[in-house]
Amino acid sequence: MRRGLMGRNEKELPVAAIEARLARLRGAMQAAGLDAFVVYTNNVRPSAVTWITGFTPYWSDALLLVGKSGAPAFATALSKRVSEWIRTTDPVSEIVNTPKPGSLIGERLKSDASVRRVGVLEYDTLPAGLANDLAAAAPTVEWLDGTALFAGLRREIDSAERDLLARADAIAVAALREAETGKASDAGTLAGLIEQHARLAGAEEAYIAVAPDLDADRRLNRTSQPTPLADRFAVRASVAYKGCWVRRTRTFAKDGSAAKADAWFASVVQSIGPKKPLAAQLAEKIKALSGATMDSWMAESCVGSYPLSVIASSRLSADATPLDGQFLVLTAEATIGGSPWIGTAPLIVSQKAL
Amino acid sequence: MIAGERLIRLVDAMKGARADESLDALLVYGNAWQGDYLRYATDFGILEGQGIAIVRQDGHITLYVDSPLEADRAALDCPGIEVVLAPDITGEVDAALNRMSNQKIGAAPQRLLPRRIAARAKDINLTDQTAFVDYFLMAKLPGEIDAIRKAAHLADEGYKVFMQAVRPGRADYELIAEAEAFFRANGVDDNFQIIGVGGGEVKGMAPPSGKRLKRGDMVTTELTPCVDGYYAQICRTLVVGEANAEQKAAHALWRESMEAGIATVRDGVTAADIAKAENDVFRKYGMGKYCTNEFTRVRGHGMGLFADSKPHILEDVTTKIETGMALIVHPNTYHPVVGYMVLGDGVAVEDDGCEVLTKTPRELFSVAV
Repeated sequence: MRRGLMGRNEKELPVAAIEARLARLRGAMQAAGLDAFVVYTNNVRPSAVTWITGFTPYWSDALLLVGKSGAPAFATALSKRVSEWIRTTDPVSEIVNTPKPGSLIGERLKSDASVRRVGVLEYDTLPAGLANDLAAAAPTVEWLDGTALFAGLRREIDSAERDLLARADAIAVAALREAETGKASDAGTLAGLIEQHARLAGAEEAYIAVAPDLDADRRLNRTSQPTPLADRFAVRASVAYKGCWVRRTRTFAKDGSAAKADAWFASVVQSIGPKKPLAAQLAEKIKALSGATMDSWMAESCVGSYPLSVIASSRLSADATPLDGQFLVLTAEATIGGSPWIGTAPLIVSQKAL
Repeated sequence: MIAGERLIRLVDAMKGARADESLDALLVYGNAWQGDYLRYATDFGILEGQGIAIVRQDGHITLYVDSPLEADRAALDCPGIEVVLAPDITGEVDAALNRMSNQKIGAAPQRLLPRRIAARAKDINLTDQTAFVDYFLMAKLPGEIDAIRKAAHLADEGYKVFMQAVRPGRADYELIAEAEAFFRANGVDDNFQIIGVGGGEVKGMAPPSGKRLKRGDMVTTELTPCVDGYYAQICRTLVVGEANAEQKAAHALWRESMEAGIATVRDGVTAADIAKAENDVFRKYGMGKYCTNEFTRVRGHGMGLFADSKPHILEDVTTKIETGMALIVHPNTYHPVVGYMVLGDGVAVEDDGCEVLTKTPRELFSVAV
């Protein structure tokens, strides 16, 4: 659950920015012949509703109905007492508290005779209980998957989102420096220090994962155990600020041997461009790091309800080509002079910085 | 260790007392919000994305996750199960179910299953077995109570850290940050926590919003650390500076109510009996309206693999309370003068009463300014 700072700030996310996003969604709905659009949210799948309204649930789930005009309807099983808090993060929706969000949204759709075709983000994975309630309440509606439509809207990010991502990234970068201080000799304590740093800086959420002995195992995991940190270890900080998520992974080597790869990776994320597959770009760039081989890579972005999901990787969609201005989180795993190295950083394609 | 015992219990029950009651497989769904069903079967504490496991009657488990980061974590945390990275999780599970024709398959929790899979219930002989798993989630093995006992101890310790972080001018989220650092360094992977700061204007608790503490504020929190997947909760209220007479009087009522509820807990009573004991104290003082859903959600709930487990302690919930259950008894609600106030202790149900798991004094704490 979310337990970090949650709240909308008009300077960071102006109502005008939210309204512009709504207008873009409605434009796409009209082009696709949709009369309404339904989006599910919970604290694992919050990002689409966050983008449309500013709201992220700390707990529980809800449905958002966007019609052709008017305020979106946000139907949640959270109690009325929580509505006041929801309003502090969502300035645009009509908030409706109901034990049956699916039934309520379905009845709204049924009551409007002009509604025939309704898009649903990630229709296949909509929770069955809500889907059944929607269908039962609005039996004549034609339900259509709206995943591709929504992903199309998320190919570009606006300045408000970019600034929030930059803030999330600054928090992650600063928090990971806790690993340089030598204050922690075990993974659990280090994870606590990094998480504490991130939360004190205003992170909404911070997932810290550690590979305590990178030479033995490259997989990173959440930890609260006193596992000793070896001479080479890696830490991943997945950090949210006001609903916007980034990841950073750093490799820490007591002999200082990670520094060269860190510098190389910093230049890579500044130079990812459009029109050429990521795999080809990375294959070319690894040549600049002497003695290194690229073992795997992964690119994530926010295209639907997940904060970050894989859109290309060395295992999947390796021929994917980045788009100009696209937000990506790039992870690279390499072997350099026989030693493992992992790095993750956010980037905007064709731009030097977030 | 406890995960193995849970799995034996689960697959034994799947075999059923009679052949026509048996399940060949159980489909369990989980995410980081509602992860208890998945955790019970697989012992995997999922963080990102969604997971679906197929548990077969012979104990073989296949866990499908749609995040590569989670696939790595599951392989590390759950070496005894088959982990499948499935970016199209509904498609992959759908295909697996196609290979299980003529088998009786249960699902839990059915309401959260992806629509596409649940829509095939008739085709693939899939039945809702949420209640079947709910019973195991509520009625715990001794090892599960041990884990909750450890979590309750850390809830006590975590509350001390939380209190030490309190001072005027600090933001609400900073208090939680201090508690989280303590938890990560002490074996607590996760924590459910909400907070309230202020006075009569505070109607409930929520995530921190950046509110800064000032003298006279009440600070309410429910702290719910998780050890080996098991959550234990404590609810306490403190005052920044000296508590006033109204705050003290309100707290005395809350304490009388909580203690009445705890005194009722034993094998054989119902959830409603506990709620009634708590609410009767409020009614005795003419405060009965503050026990309604206009002001409060529940008067307690189960503790276990979910931070807000069944049974909910309410006067209309007739679930029988049994030895081996773990509960939090908390008459948390709004007070018209001092604002939202909380007080709650975690307990383990016994034949003739209960063991109180949280040991923090039942005081209205004052933090010196």
